[in-house]
Amino acid sequence: MPDLTPRPADPTPSRRRRRIGPILVLVAVVGFGGWVLTNLRTAVDYYCNVDEVGVRDGCDADRRLRLQGTVAEGSVVASTTRTEFDIEFDGVSVAVRYAGEPGGIFNECIPVVVHGVFDSDTELFLGDRVEVKHSDEYVSVNDERLTAAEESACSPSA
Amino acid sequence: MTTPTTPRSTGTRATRVIGIAAIVMSAWLTLFGLVLSPADVAQGDAVRIMYVHVPSVWLAYLAFIVTAICSVWVLVARGRVPGVDRVAGASAEIGVVFMAVTLVSGMLWGRITWGVYWQWDARLTTTALLFITYIGYLAVRGLDGSPEQRARRSAVVGVVAVAEIPLVHWSVRLWRSLHQEATVLDTDLDVDIDGLMLFTLFVGVIAFTLWFVWFVLHRARVMALAALVEERSLDEALAERAAEVPAGGQN
Repeated sequence: MPDLTPRPADPTPSRRRRRIGPILVLVAVVGFGGWVLTNLRTAVDYYCNVDEVGVRDGCDADRRLRLQGTVAEGSVVASTTRTEFDIEFDGVSVAVRYAGEPGGIFNECIPVVVHGVFDSDTELFLGDRVEVKHSDEYVSVNDERLTAAEESACSPSA
Repeated sequence: MTTPTTPRSTGTRATRVIGIAAIVMSAWLTLFGLVLSPADVAQGDAVRIMYVHVPSVWLAYLAFIVTAICSVWVLVARGRVPGVDRVAGASAEIGVVFMAVTLVSGMLWGRITWGVYWQWDARLTTTALLFITYIGYLAVRGLDGSPEQRARRSAVVGVVAVAEIPLVHWSVRLWRSLHQEATVLDTDLDVDIDGLMLFTLFVGVIAFTLWFVWFVLHRARVMALAALVEERSLDEALAERAAEVPAGGQN
């Protein structure tokens, strides 16, 4: 017959040690989260605004950028192979040449994010992808506020 | 040995009422979402995806919060509340489904409005992370161990994982994102949405909430039945094993 008498339990860690473990994990998680929020801000930010090129950390003109600005009214010129337009933010404007036809709800007076690089000779921003960044406002096509909304549509937003 | 009576259905009068109400509200949502609510001045008819996308993500958040509350209960009771543990698991399962609906509807909406299905910006990445975390939670629930061990182990994950929700919600404020900021759940209380669109969104939230309750109740009861079947199988196996032993002899 096998010995079925209960074996002595494994020594359990002291109550103090058991309490310290979760607290250390919590402190590490909170600390790491705080570090991410404060130090990785520019790395996690999806785009640079037009007025930040060469000014903000990570928005250098000689690197590949995602540039956000509102498509300037009357600036869109489309041909069969490319679309040219200006994007502006806080009074600063950049001319964009995009190889193709932008998708989404691309239009004048709508914020967009253009992926690309600056041409050092022409200072044109050569885009290879355009994403439309629509706002958090929802206005009915039949709304009486439509006129007012259209009038303010070209106001740049953050 | 007495065995408990097996219920013939997971439905009750209450779940039938909830189910009928969910169907009626879904019909209302379809009517308002596709016919009565107006198109958006910038997005056109694409805005109608919002009536599925936004309620589904809110219900996913609610589901994960329910899981977290039940998980705290399980931890306090040291895993000896199997009914609460089942609600935690059922809620997480339904939450994962709602989160999948959120991701798919968001991708379709993004393709129409942004021009791309997906980008690794702060909101989309944290949402994907939340989805994967709760798939991980469901995987932890399936690990070996006694029911109490499994309940306590998954409860720890359920409590920790819910901390991701504020990060997902505030990601569009903390970082610059392709995704727009919140329209309704906004702290500045400036709700910039047409009245009928907001009402349709409200109908969607009610409909999805009713579905959530209905699914969680049924799923938790199915889990209870599965536990009963497992228990009976064990009893039957023990009885069969005992019958193999010759009377008065040793095996």
